[in-house]
Amino acid sequence: MTAYIARRFAGMVVVMLLVAMIVFVIARVIPGDPAGVMLGSAATPDDVAALRHQLGLDRSLPTQFAIYLEQIASLDLGNSIFLNRPVLQAMGERAMLTTLLTLMAVGISVGIGVPVGILSAVKRGSVVDQAATAVSMLAASLPSFWVGLTLIEYLAVHAGWFPVAGYGDPGAGLADHLRHLVLPAIALGLPNSALLIRFTRTSMLDVLHEDYIRTARAKGLGARAVVFKHAFRNAMIPVLTVIGLTIATLIGGAIVTETVFGLPGIGNLIVSAVLRRDYPVIQGALLVVSGLYVLINLSVDLLYAAVDPRIRY
Amino acid sequence: MGFVGSLSTRALPALALGTFLIVAAHEARAQAKPTAIDIATIGEPGPLDPVTVTSDLVSIITQHVFETLYTFDSQWKAQPLLAAALPEITDGGKLYTITLRQGVHFQDGGTMAAVDVAASLQRWLKASPRGKLAAPSVDQVTAKDASTIEIKLKQPLAPLLALLALNNGAAAIMPKALTETTDPLKTYVGTGPYKIVEQKPDQYLRLVRFEQYSSPPGKPDGYAGERKALIDELRFVPVPNATTRVDGMLAAQYQFADSLPAEMAPRFKNTQDAQPVVVKPFGFPLMIFNQKTGPMTNVVLRQAAQAALAPEEMLLAAFGDPAFFAVEGSIYAKGTPFYDAASVKGYNQHDAKKAAALLKQAGYKGEPIRIMTSPQYDFLYKMSLVAQQNLQEAGFTVDLQVLDWATLLQKRGDDKAWEAFFTYHTFVPEPTLITIMNPSYPGWWNTPEKQAALSEFNTETDPAKRIEGWKKLQALFDTQVPAYKVGEFYNLAAINKKLTNYTPMPWPFFWNVKLGG
Repeated sequence: MTAYIARRFAGMVVVMLLVAMIVFVIARVIPGDPAGVMLGSAATPDDVAALRHQLGLDRSLPTQFAIYLEQIASLDLGNSIFLNRPVLQAMGERAMLTTLLTLMAVGISVGIGVPVGILSAVKRGSVVDQAATAVSMLAASLPSFWVGLTLIEYLAVHAGWFPVAGYGDPGAGLADHLRHLVLPAIALGLPNSALLIRFTRTSMLDVLHEDYIRTARAKGLGARAVVFKHAFRNAMIPVLTVIGLTIATLIGGAIVTETVFGLPGIGNLIVSAVLRRDYPVIQGALLVVSGLYVLINLSVDLLYAAVDPRIRY
Repeated sequence: MGFVGSLSTRALPALALGTFLIVAAHEARAQAKPTAIDIATIGEPGPLDPVTVTSDLVSIITQHVFETLYTFDSQWKAQPLLAAALPEITDGGKLYTITLRQGVHFQDGGTMAAVDVAASLQRWLKASPRGKLAAPSVDQVTAKDASTIEIKLKQPLAPLLALLALNNGAAAIMPKALTETTDPLKTYVGTGPYKIVEQKPDQYLRLVRFEQYSSPPGKPDGYAGERKALIDELRFVPVPNATTRVDGMLAAQYQFADSLPAEMAPRFKNTQDAQPVVVKPFGFPLMIFNQKTGPMTNVVLRQAAQAALAPEEMLLAAFGDPAFFAVEGSIYAKGTPFYDAASVKGYNQHDAKKAAALLKQAGYKGEPIRIMTSPQYDFLYKMSLVAQQNLQEAGFTVDLQVLDWATLLQKRGDDKAWEAFFTYHTFVPEPTLITIMNPSYPGWWNTPEKQAALSEFNTETDPAKRIEGWKKLQALFDTQVPAYKVGEFYNLAAINKKLTNYTPMPWPFFWNVKLGG
C-alpha cells in the first residue's frame, strides 16, 4: 500500500508539472492582457504598454515561464496582478467557502441520490421507480445557474427565507455563512443528485441480480439485510467513483453558481481571473484545483480497498 | 384594588426610574449602532488608484476617499473642492494660481500642504491618461507657499480646470509620500469623507466615515458644496450578475444597485422597498473606425457606413424601452452647454442606396470589414448585430468578431487587427475628455483639420467662443466620421426607499445620503 501511494504521488508530480505548463501556455495564448483591463477603456495603447512593462508582461514567454517554475519550486504561486495580494493568500481567503459549499452540495447529492437510487432499484418498475427516473432526468437536465436564479426568486425574494447573494456581512459567524450557502448548495447539489440516483439504481440492479444475493434471500435473510448488508456495500464501488468525480465536477460547477450567488469562492476567483487575464491567479488556482482533483481520485482509489477487502494495492 | 394601587408609594418612583433607565439604555444602544449600507456593484474594482485607473467603478468608489482641487456642480461647472476658490488665471491664461483650503486632513493623520498637492499633480501628469492630455501644455507645477500652488503652462489650456475636476483618471490629492511611483497605488490615503478600512476581494470593500473630514462650504449641488458622511459605513459589494443585483434590491439585501439592464425596470413596479433611478445624461455608444490602417482609412467608405446605419433600430435592439435612450446625434445631450444638433447632418440617414453609391465612389471591392464587439456589454453586442445587417444591406462585407472585453481591449491597440469596434463613453463635461479626441486613442483620429480645430478649442478661454469651437469640431466629426455616435443611453440604477437625499449623477455618490427620514 505504501509503495502504491508513493508511486501515485510521484505520478502526481509529473501530472502537476504538465498542468503547470499547459495552463501557462493556454493563459498566454488567449488574447487580451491584464494591463488593458486594469487601466480601463480610456487608456491608450501607450498607457497599456507602459503598465505591461511594469508588470513584466513584455518579457519573453520562456523567461516568464522560468520565473513561474522557480516560484512553484519555492511553493510560491506569485502575486495577483489585480487583487494586490499573493495568489496563495487570495485562495486561502476563499478556501473555507468553497470547501463548505462543496461539502454541503455533496451532502445534498448523496443524501438524495443514494437513498432514492436504492429505493428505485429495490422497487424496480413501480410508480416510485418511474417517478424517481422522471424526476432525476428532469433534474439532470437543469443547468445549475437556472436552478440558482429560480431558488433566489422564490425562496429569497418572495419568501425571504434566505439571503439573495453574498457570504454575509463583515464579522458574520459560521451560522450566518452557512445560511448564505444553503441555496447555492441546493443549486449545485440538485443536478448531481440526479446523476447519483441513476448510477446507484443501475449499480444496485446489477448487484441485486447476482447469485450471492439470491443465496442470501434463499437463506431466509430479511429484505433489509439483503439490500443494505450484501447488495449496497458491493454496489458502492462504482457509486464511490461517481461521488469522487462529482466532487471534482462540483468544483467546476461552483464557477457558475458562485457567480450567480455573488460568492467569493475559488470558482468565482477563477472566472474573474480569466476575465481580467490575471495570469498568476489563473495559473495558481488551476494548479491547486488540478492537485485537488488528483488527490480526490487517489482517495477514492484507496477507499475501494476499504469498501471491498478483495481489492489490494 | 388594581395593580398600580397595590404598589407602595416608594416602589412607584423606583419603577419609573427603572423604566426610564431601560428606555434610555435602549435608545443609547440604538444611537450607538453604526449605520451601514450595501451597494451592489458590477464587479471587483481591482486596484483603487483613482489616477492611473479609468474604470467607472474605481471612480465611483474612490471619489468617497480621494478628492480633487475642483469638482462639478449639477450644471457641470467646476467648483472648488480642496481649493479655496476658483483659480486666479493670469499671463494670458498661462499661469494658474490656486489657493488651498486650510486645515484639510489626510486619512493617515497628516495635514494637506501645497507640496502634497504639487507632487500629486505631477504624478497625475505622468501617470493618468487624463493628466497625459494636459502634460504637453504644462511647464511646471510648484508649491508657491504652504497653501498656494502655481501651474505654469507653455500655452493656454482651456480644459485644464475640467481636467482637474474630473474624478475619472483623477487629479487626486494624496500625501507626497504616495506620489513617488507611477505604478497603481497599493496604499489608499485621501482627504475624502470616507476612508477604506477593509477590502475582501469579490466579497466587499468597507469604507467608514473619516471623522476628521473637512468639508467644502456651500449648499450641496451635484458633486460640489458641503459633504457630510451621514452613514457610518459604505460597503461596496461586487455582484457581477445583473439579475442577482435586481433580486438583491427587491429583497432589500442591498440599498443601492448600479448598472441594471433596462428590461428589468418593470420588476420594480410593485415593490415596497426599492425604486428605480434613471440617470440622464449618462453615456453614448460609439462605433469607432480605424483611420490608420485598412479600408476604413478612406473617408468616403466611412461616410458610406454613416449613411447605412440605422441608429433608432440599433438603440431599440440594445435597450428595448425608449425611456432608456434617445436618438440623438449631437455628442452632447440637449440641455448641456455643448449641445449642437445642427452640425451632425450625417446622423440617422439609414439610406442603403446612398451608402451603396458611396461604396462605388470609394472603389470598394468587398474587402472584409472586421467589426469587434463584446457580449460582456450586452447592449453593444445587440447594436452591433443591427449594424452588421445595415452595412451588409448597403454592400459591405462584414466580419463581425465577437470577443470577450479583455480581448477587444487588447486587439483594438493593433491597427492591423480590425476596421471598427463598438464601445461606449460615459458623459464627460468637457469635450477634450472624450477619448476619440486623443489622437493616440484606437481609431487614431489625427487629421490636420481636427488637430488644428482641437488646438484652437483648447487654447480658447472665452466660454462663448469655445462653444463655437466645439461646433467646428463636431462638424468635422460629422464629415470625417472617425466614429459613429449611435445615440444617448441612460443608466438604470435602483435605490432602497429608506435612503433619502440621494442625487442621481453618472458616478453615484453617498455623502449627504441619509438612511431613514
